[in-house]
Amino acid sequence: MDIHEFQAKKILQSYGIPIPPFAVISSLAEADAILDQYQWSSAVLKVQIHAGGRGKAGGVQFAKDRNEIRKWVKELLGKKIVTPQTGKEGLVASQLLLSSPLAIAHEYYLSIAVNRERAQNMLLISSVGGVEIEQVAQEHPDQVLFLPIPLDGVFRSYHLYRIANFMRWKGKIAKQGIECIKKLVQAFVEIDATLVEINPLVETKEGDLYALDAKISLDDNALFRHPDLKALFDPSQVNPYEALAREIDLAYVSLDGNIGCMVNGAGLAMATMDLIKHYGGEPANFLDVGGSASKEIVAEGFKIILSDPKVKVILINIFGGIMNCGTIAEGIIAAAEELHIHVPLVVRLEGTNVDQGKHLLQETKLQIISAHDLTSAAQKAVALAR
Amino acid sequence: MAILINGNTRIITQGITGKAGRFHTEQGMLYAPTYVGGVTPGKGGEEILGLPVFDTVWEAKKSTECNASLIFVPPPFAAEAILEAEEAEIPLIVCITEGIPFQDMLRVSHVMKKSKSRLIGPNCPGIITPGECKMGIMPGYIHQKGSIGIVSRSGTLTYEAVWQTTQLGLGQSTCVGIGGDPLNGTTFIDILALFEKDEQTKAILMIGEIGGRAEEEAAQWISSHSTKPIAAFIAGQTAPPGRRMGHAGAIISGGQGTAAMKMAALKNVGVVIAEVPTEMGLAVESLI
Repeated sequence: MDIHEFQAKKILQSYGIPIPPFAVISSLAEADAILDQYQWSSAVLKVQIHAGGRGKAGGVQFAKDRNEIRKWVKELLGKKIVTPQTGKEGLVASQLLLSSPLAIAHEYYLSIAVNRERAQNMLLISSVGGVEIEQVAQEHPDQVLFLPIPLDGVFRSYHLYRIANFMRWKGKIAKQGIECIKKLVQAFVEIDATLVEINPLVETKEGDLYALDAKISLDDNALFRHPDLKALFDPSQVNPYEALAREIDLAYVSLDGNIGCMVNGAGLAMATMDLIKHYGGEPANFLDVGGSASKEIVAEGFKIILSDPKVKVILINIFGGIMNCGTIAEGIIAAAEELHIHVPLVVRLEGTNVDQGKHLLQETKLQIISAHDLTSAAQKAVALAR
Repeated sequence: MAILINGNTRIITQGITGKAGRFHTEQGMLYAPTYVGGVTPGKGGEEILGLPVFDTVWEAKKSTECNASLIFVPPPFAAEAILEAEEAEIPLIVCITEGIPFQDMLRVSHVMKKSKSRLIGPNCPGIITPGECKMGIMPGYIHQKGSIGIVSRSGTLTYEAVWQTTQLGLGQSTCVGIGGDPLNGTTFIDILALFEKDEQTKAILMIGEIGGRAEEEAAQWISSHSTKPIAAFIAGQTAPPGRRMGHAGAIISGGQGTAAMKMAALKNVGVVIAEVPTEMGLAVESLI
């Protein structure tokens, strides 16, 4: 789960990581109130969207006086920002982060991320900040330091020496940098993050350290033990159908095509998408209904798939296994009836009582095509979508 | 020869009094009489499905001499359940649970690396030796004793492959679901190594998916260790980058972990690739 920069900054602030004073505004009136309160003469304005590359897309602006601040507030609020990460639909910024600019002497990079191959949490730090870290790591590997974090989440003093020496930090900045890193590790583990990134971590001309930007991604599997963090979710930043699916715990990813898919099992769902493409069709979505394809779950799946107006046909592929195919067929028919489904359904069932299931589907007056096997199901769906 | 479980395996179910634990234990017992007890903290002394229930794994082991544990414990407590079984020195631990927090599994991984016990999963359908023993949620009846070893990151996609190989008359020696999570207890390599030494396994079918490097690492192992023919199918050729496709481990990250890369790595070392999921059975049949 992603959260906004301002939410990430609030969290890091609570762990004692230095964050420059900031305010979040969603209207010009709020901006005026903040400027009256803080008396900032100039400000940096940053759109709050769940995507990187905001700067290049015009979502980060420097304003040199109050008039310019107000001008940018009016222009950026409600503006659609398109970055390589947002896709062409872009994301709308309904909130801006305002802060007073700092006199920056140096920009560093600091992040902690989970590493599945090593089964470790990894610290990544570089004295080249403010730019794309992947590029730095590729072109100047000697300028990035990867350090595995000990299992107990505590860096030893020898780790900290290594980091400080690598960064060429001495005296006051070394002390602040080390403190910041220790607190970041603590935050990372305690909030069950998968990524915490500060880019850039800046050293001001006065020799103080601040996190100028902050990005946090949280482990979805751990949200059950962080209801406060779960509540930070901003549904406006994701596809509305995906937000809906998330609420009812269905795995759903919206795609560009017109063949809706409903499958039980993530691997089988991916394979079904692959098969549709193989026969020249375009899947409209990925949807895993999970282990129990009950009438209620199928109905929810239909609602989500059909809220996408592009869908011309729905392919349902259920390997019933232990679930009785007769029961599944009844569920599909009942859901289709209740929702007055207007697109054809191509259904492929396999598993216990498959013949009974197929029979029920054939008998119904609804536009349901019971496919003989997965190959014909995919081919039929593709033909119907043309 | 079964590689992990057989008719003599003595299984306990952790979480046996829960809905899923109870149902799948019953299904497992119907398949083969290999279940000897269960564990639910607080329900020790009770009986369910004719099996004794214990408060802890240690007590269950002492009383039943079990040598395998099947875990149906919800995500908040599943990692601890795995660690409990490991501490009780249960040699084989199969965890079905989907949704265990990454940091929890990080600690479990650390323990399992140095352990004599083997962990299968989490987020997996389990293990089945057709005709002998079923430890998991797979439908028993689609399986047939035979010669194909199947190892997969998926659940229902594995059943497709099983169904295809059964219908072709090839049958399966053992089917192992290693699970869809980014951190798991057993890798493709671990199971391939067991199949390599198993006389009953004449050919192997690997079912992978996007995310991570498990298939690429398996390809490296295959090139220097494998003498048996292997076919593979990789799900997610059409998955968009950066999106988690259901499974926690199924995500293309930073351009890495694509289906194309995995297919190329395996093809490079002589693995026959099924281009579509409907031809997994045919792919492995072509090897025999």
